[in-house]
Amino acid sequence: MLMTRIFKRMFNAKGQRVKGSKRQPRLFLFVLLCSFVPLTLGVEKAQSGAAVQSQFSIRWTPDPTDANKVAVEVSGLSEATLKRLQQANWKPPQWQRLLSVYVGQGSDQNLPAMLGVYRVQSDSLRFEPQFPLEPGVAYRAVFRPDQLPGVKGSGVAPITADFQLPPRSATPTTVVSHIYPSADLLPENLLKFYVHFSAPMSRGRIYDHIRMRDEAGKEIELPFLEIDEELWDPAMTRLTLIIDPGRIKRGVLPLEEIGPALEAGKSYTLVIAREWRDGAGIPLKENFQKVFTVGPPDREPPDHTGWRIQPPKAGARDALAVTFPEPMDHALARRVISVTTESGEVVEGKVALEDQERRWVFAPLSPWRRGQYKLVIQTTIEDLAGNNIGKPFEVDLFEGVQRRLASPTVKLSFEIL
Amino acid sequence: MKRFALYLALTLFALGLLAQGASAKWTSDMKEGKAEFKSMGPLTFGPDGILFVADAKAAAIVAIATGDVKPAAGAKLLKVEGINQKIAALLGTTADQILIEDLAINPISQNAYLAVSRGRGPDAVPVLVRVKADGQVEVVSLDKVKFSRAELPDAPADAMVGQANRQSNPRRESITDIGFLNGRLFIAGLANEEFASTLRAIPFPFKTVANGTNVEIYHGAHGRFETRAPVRTFATFKIGKEDHLLAAYTCTPLVQFPVSELTPGAKIKGKTIAELGNRNRPLDMIVYEKDGKTYLLMANSSRGVMKITTEQIDKAGSITAPVADKQGLSYETIESWTGVDQLDRLDSKHVVVLRRVEGGSLNLESLPLP
Repeated sequence: MLMTRIFKRMFNAKGQRVKGSKRQPRLFLFVLLCSFVPLTLGVEKAQSGAAVQSQFSIRWTPDPTDANKVAVEVSGLSEATLKRLQQANWKPPQWQRLLSVYVGQGSDQNLPAMLGVYRVQSDSLRFEPQFPLEPGVAYRAVFRPDQLPGVKGSGVAPITADFQLPPRSATPTTVVSHIYPSADLLPENLLKFYVHFSAPMSRGRIYDHIRMRDEAGKEIELPFLEIDEELWDPAMTRLTLIIDPGRIKRGVLPLEEIGPALEAGKSYTLVIAREWRDGAGIPLKENFQKVFTVGPPDREPPDHTGWRIQPPKAGARDALAVTFPEPMDHALARRVISVTTESGEVVEGKVALEDQERRWVFAPLSPWRRGQYKLVIQTTIEDLAGNNIGKPFEVDLFEGVQRRLASPTVKLSFEIL
Repeated sequence: MKRFALYLALTLFALGLLAQGASAKWTSDMKEGKAEFKSMGPLTFGPDGILFVADAKAAAIVAIATGDVKPAAGAKLLKVEGINQKIAALLGTTADQILIEDLAINPISQNAYLAVSRGRGPDAVPVLVRVKADGQVEVVSLDKVKFSRAELPDAPADAMVGQANRQSNPRRESITDIGFLNGRLFIAGLANEEFASTLRAIPFPFKTVANGTNVEIYHGAHGRFETRAPVRTFATFKIGKEDHLLAAYTCTPLVQFPVSELTPGAKIKGKTIAELGNRNRPLDMIVYEKDGKTYLLMANSSRGVMKITTEQIDKAGSITAPVADKQGLSYETIESWTGVDQLDRLDSKHVVVLRRVEGGSLNLESLPLP
């Protein structure tokens, strides 16, 4: 159909070339090539039933716009049969008895057929799977002529056609690109790691691939909060690993029973195993290790008044730098600090963290103007131990749960000269 | 006779109106159309076959009127072996590309509903699957359904960080469990950046969603110090005449608090009523009655399913001192129920479990309540 349309647009009724259709031959060639795609892109094999070298044939036809979208077409049906099918008003199970597509090539008879839509076309019966086919997975289409309306008995054996899209490249390329915190000296009550990957990863039983070992290479038992939902960012290139709060607090049961996950003065290795598969199902290129030493716990809320602001000069787009006395949580420091003018107008720009998350750097989109500015910080910002501005991570219940800042933000002023 | 027929007709009409009124109460503000999802997480049933589906990726809860309201015919027990393989075959993929996120039983029809992810990467497609009492597995079409949607209040808090993350906001809140009680939907969640565990209560129908409750629960489980530990799973439960939520935290203390205290902005101190030992993650929990007594049934990561007696629950004191391993309400472990990831009540005598068997296959089966 598409080819006929392109042909018609290329040539008029007299067969003369239509003006302005210079690009069409290329499109025509492309569509023509695509119609042979089953032979080149995927592996297609039809097997006729032994009883009758029947007039029916099954063809896998890829969608020219999406190689994974492949339909099945049965041709050789008479006009009368197609008409009967059109009028049959069948329910899905009836269609499936006539034509069905299975994952695998008949290895498990108990598995149901794939879901999809059946269409009766002018010269064929077409099945469009509801979901795209998976690369590297074998599929089998089965057409059973004895299920055609009006056909009685079972003299005609089913015919089948197998199909497989080429498997994805199996060469591992995805790596762990960074683990935050970047520092190699971390507090005993460290709360989180962020593991960044170079490409999207896959979900499901991820904690099997994450290990924490002590200096002797002994595995630390259950150091992380294993959350079935898994704390991914939407792109699935960053995983948040929370250290079980039960193992970083004073007087908490798991801590007393199996000890804290991390102890001051000792060294540990966080290992991400290469067996973990990325979003395309390919293992990581290599193992990743982060070796770090543990220092004393940090139970003090971060004090923003001790932050050092280095304002750039007016008229240029030089970066504004803010230095923290201690490293801050990477994700939160990026997200919850902003710059406004004196009147509260947000200054647009790009944020980066440097010096092992001790320096916040802001590059404005437009040159700085002379005047007063404000650094606005949400108090939910955390240091590496999860302490917020005005609120330590651990709350002493007997001294009051209310011990927190009411204000959601704090501000620091600076001047651009 | 004619008059009798007229009365009968009028009565039936009135009953019809009443029935319609009952369901219209929940569905009158629903619209009909395609219910779109970015992900499907925890599931729970409300009244009249309404299924609540959490879509954490879209920071929303969708209520779907399934129309699956024909009462179950009888006690036909469900058993589907290799449910993950069957679903994979239907969806045209392999079992390793299928994740079953949650299980909920429709209390009316007793059909099982599964939130399924086709694929494991960022492009995974969420699919709602129904398993009928006869074991037939089917995909529930959401192209034309009655539904309503609640965007979660305060979801991605990037109102004032415009310049910092124009690129894309990596923050997301996971939803660990949802439950429906007396016209309110309770939602437990956890963020992937700031360490904030929340329990929200939003009224249903969803029109007043802006007034959603956001509470922080502190529980003095292990001594003086406690933080905002995330709720893993919860169940609703009556103690005396008052409705309570029983929440299981990630390091298995069981905490109770009255539903009436869940008011906007409230900071609630829950009462820890049991320490169930550690090296253990709670996975799912239900409440049931047997022989006049009420029990909790909890699936967890490291032991067989735990059956917890609640006889002393109203008298239980709060556990505030560090304990050696387990304390509070007593429990027994049903050792033979191995590999149970999910469970939901089927009827007064049975529970449906999703259990992992050797070879990584998953079975969906009903078992008599212990």
